[in-house]
Amino acid sequence: MALTKKKARLLMAKKGFLDMLPLNLAVLPWGILCGSLAIQRDFSALEAILMPLVVFAGSAQLVAIELIANNASLATILFTTFIISSRHFLYGLALRDKLKILPTKWRYGLGFLLTDELFALSSHSKSFVGQLRLIYAVVAGGSFYVFWLLWNVTGVIAGSYLPDLTHLGLDFAIAVTFIALVIPTIINLPILVTVIVAALLSVLFKLMQFELDLVAAALIAMYCGYLTDRFQHKNTKDDDNNTLSPSVKDST
Amino acid sequence: MTLLTIFLMALITFTTRYLFIHPRLPVCLGAKMAKLLSFSAPAVLTAIWVPIIFIQQGELNVSLNNPYLIAATFAVIAAAKSKSIYLTMFIGLITFVLSRYLLTV
Repeated sequence: MALTKKKARLLMAKKGFLDMLPLNLAVLPWGILCGSLAIQRDFSALEAILMPLVVFAGSAQLVAIELIANNASLATILFTTFIISSRHFLYGLALRDKLKILPTKWRYGLGFLLTDELFALSSHSKSFVGQLRLIYAVVAGGSFYVFWLLWNVTGVIAGSYLPDLTHLGLDFAIAVTFIALVIPTIINLPILVTVIVAALLSVLFKLMQFELDLVAAALIAMYCGYLTDRFQHKNTKDDDNNTLSPSVKDST
Repeated sequence: MTLLTIFLMALITFTTRYLFIHPRLPVCLGAKMAKLLSFSAPAVLTAIWVPIIFIQQGELNVSLNNPYLIAATFAVIAAAKSKSIYLTMFIGLITFVLSRYLLTV
């Protein structure tokens, strides 16, 4: 039975929603924390809701709330936001060739929705290629936006009734989601090297209180993965030459 | 004042996401660069989750008293064996809540 266009679009939208659903649920505690913390730190309801609505970033929101509450200077707040967000430059670069050719409307929309979570679902070599995969991405990314907003609003409403949630270990929900996303993608040695280097360096840099800890660890890890890949290719090429040369000799 | 701060923050988070997908930006990625960037997802996501597991209140915690470490170990095994996001999250969260409870009793 052939799929009609409309049916195919609906199926892709459904798949985007379902693929993002576990991530949407995993950020529930994180979103409630962001919303309630803003209220507890004397933000107005409007300010607390504008955070997820326009800033739309988990860790940047959380850190900025504490900085604003402590009367940090505007420059400090903006610089910290920039440092925490700078990992997104890598996502844009990685997806550049696929996204830069899109019509303006799609490009701005997907650019806004390009979170860690959407990027984690974009590793397929053909992601964002063709209308159906765009629908998938917009529904996945858009549903994440809606859920993030919903959890934040819940936190804002419940805010004054909730105890201080910052020390409850809610960050584990984020960690376990990323474990579930990363571990199954380790299918070869270069990716394994990348993950191990990123793990070691991110912990080391964080302990050193290095401001660009995350991005520096990721960049060095990527380069190690790249070098491993190059090394493997070089070796297989050498093997090819070795197996080739005796047969050449035989034929002469 | 807070409103202005929030809108400026929004400008920054959007710019970091959008800048490199803007077509007029004079950046052309070669095959080598594309290969390098193909490692960005495992690299960045790992650099986010691993410090959550090992560092609490600014200090390294590699011990069996660390519920994050116990639960993450089970979650990694579950992810490697099942490749199921739901099962991994379920096992991770259950072991986290249990080990946290048992360690504080």
